[in-house]
Amino acid sequence: MTIEVTLTALLTLAIYSFLAGDNPFYRFAEHLLVGLTIGYTLVVTIKSVIWPQCAIPIGNGQLSAIIPLVLGLLILLRLSRSLAPWSRIPLALVVGGGAGVAIPAMLQARVLSQMEATISGTGSVTGWIVLIGVVTTLTYFVFTREHRGAWGAAARGGRLFMMVFFGATFAYTVMSRVALLIGRLEFLLGDWLGLLRT
Amino acid sequence: MSAAPRRWVFAVMGAVVIGALLFRVGLPIRITSETRQVYEQLESLDSSDVVMISFDHEASSLPEIGPIGSAIIDHCLRRGTKIIGLALFSEGTAAGYSLLGDRARRAGAVEGEDWLYLGFRPQYAAAILGMGEDIPQVFETDYQGRPLSGTPLGMRVHDYRDIAIVVSLSDGSMPTYWVEYAGARYGARVVAALTAVMVTSFLPYLESGQLAGIVPGMKGAAEYEQLMGLPAAGTRGMDAQSAAHVVIAVLVVLGNIQAWSDRRRARRSP
Amino acid sequence: MLRDWLSVGVAMAAGLFMTVQYFLVSESANAAYRTVLLWMQIVFAFALIIGVIGVLRIHLKKLSRPGSGRIYSGTLLAGAVLMSVFGFSGGIERGSAFLWVFDNLQAPMQSTVFSLLAFYVASAAYRGFRARSMESAVLVIAALIVLIGRVPVGEWLSPHIPESADWILNVPALAAKRAILIGIGLGMIATSLKVIAGLERTYLGGR
Repeated sequence: MTIEVTLTALLTLAIYSFLAGDNPFYRFAEHLLVGLTIGYTLVVTIKSVIWPQCAIPIGNGQLSAIIPLVLGLLILLRLSRSLAPWSRIPLALVVGGGAGVAIPAMLQARVLSQMEATISGTGSVTGWIVLIGVVTTLTYFVFTREHRGAWGAAARGGRLFMMVFFGATFAYTVMSRVALLIGRLEFLLGDWLGLLRT
Repeated sequence: MSAAPRRWVFAVMGAVVIGALLFRVGLPIRITSETRQVYEQLESLDSSDVVMISFDHEASSLPEIGPIGSAIIDHCLRRGTKIIGLALFSEGTAAGYSLLGDRARRAGAVEGEDWLYLGFRPQYAAAILGMGEDIPQVFETDYQGRPLSGTPLGMRVHDYRDIAIVVSLSDGSMPTYWVEYAGARYGARVVAALTAVMVTSFLPYLESGQLAGIVPGMKGAAEYEQLMGLPAAGTRGMDAQSAAHVVIAVLVVLGNIQAWSDRRRARRSP
Repeated sequence: MLRDWLSVGVAMAAGLFMTVQYFLVSESANAAYRTVLLWMQIVFAFALIIGVIGVLRIHLKKLSRPGSGRIYSGTLLAGAVLMSVFGFSGGIERGSAFLWVFDNLQAPMQSTVFSLLAFYVASAAYRGFRARSMESAVLVIAALIVLIGRVPVGEWLSPHIPESADWILNVPALAAKRAILIGIGLGMIATSLKVIAGLERTYLGGR
């Protein structure tokens, strides 16, 4: 059992102490975690992105790299109340550029491919169930028409499909959270206390 | 629920998981088709192929994503397949570097020849699209600041045509963007290795063939380990996973019985 | 006002170019496309720093106020300074103090925080997962089958449980998620078109 394992274990227990209620040990660990994460983000962003993509090219005489640097500095003006409006220019580049690349990607990969897969699957019974599920669920999301009569029945069918989806997602959420718990308890019982057989 | 019964629920949950970790029975693990699909594709690669592994997750999901990542990395290293690592999430950067570096060193793989870690790029859409055009333009240097052109593996990769499979190790919706930007536009073959919570979101992409496979959560890691014949963290955790799921299922049933009897009592009383 | 029009103009031009570029086969257009992608990444990196500075400012203010919160704000700031000093002065490679702190403190603590949810999910399963109507009954039954069917104990109990779980996941759950995906896709296309047309301007500050 090394010092680092003991330190990690104590901080892990400090966080688990929250199960008994909010307390100073938990709050200490929580704030330490946020602080470390902030420092980490700052270091990784600067060393891994800004330095190699802006500073080094400018240092090598690549003057075109000044433009994204200026845009980046403009976005930092968001921190100043009077100069904040200038930060909208680089933000507009990201939002506009993102919108531009999203249109063909969404249309091709999300809408058309998914529709194609739905229709091409109708050679089997399950394919037909999927088609009915897709159509009725989409019906539920049409809010410009009142959900009455046949339309309402379809929308209610869509809700049932969604309930199955939410139920399955809940089950997988449990799986995820339990996996994290297993990982941490394995650490405490195995790495720290040495109680687990490998 | 008041604090006292809630703490009982906490205690039962903790005790059951601890008990299942201490006293493992080794329930058989069924291999699902989605995990087998990923395994078989990586198995078909050889030392001339390059796999790109993107660590698209936060540090919080490491206990779940770590075993999946380890299994996939070990598989690639065993096949001699080259690995290029990168991260589209800030926290995935150090996590990926540690995981890939540790597994590679254990296997005796040479950095720069057998594996390479590129580091972090934000704005995932721009980064994924950018790599479709020119990987060295997006990553001029690796994680440690060394020029990509200075390594044999770095010199080999120019865009997705040089990558056999992209594996997105993700705890969020990032594989969607890999499918929509790298897959649809540049024809990259994408595999999603996911935390379980995200699995249901990606089944439509798997069924439509836009995803080449899914490794679902710690259970997926356990399946992958079984396929490789190397039981590790995923397999070790499966009894505890089963036990915890049974506890939750019992709690759901008990909660419903309680609610049903409460309603019946309320109806009878005037 | 001029700045707003400039911002809208930048968004429209960037959006239009990035959409049209998809259909163009031109080396110069491709070079411009790659440049815009690179700039977007750099701008986004600076945006991450805004978040960092924002949190630091809040806790620096708290530090100057009396009360028990000072200790916690001090802890947070100390953590941020420690990690920054380690990262900037000692490097981020294997064997560095930066990576040691990440591997042994930051990552384990983060996953522990999220693992707390396992306990709260258990509590919520007892308290809130009630079959009060036909729809909620469908939800509960689907959850129970997938919950048991996707772990080894389900296979051990009966092969029909994992088979049922597979069917639920690959047929009705898939259909609902596919419809949601198509709906979101159409919504995103509509929003993107509005951004490019200059009709959607909430990114300028909620107006």
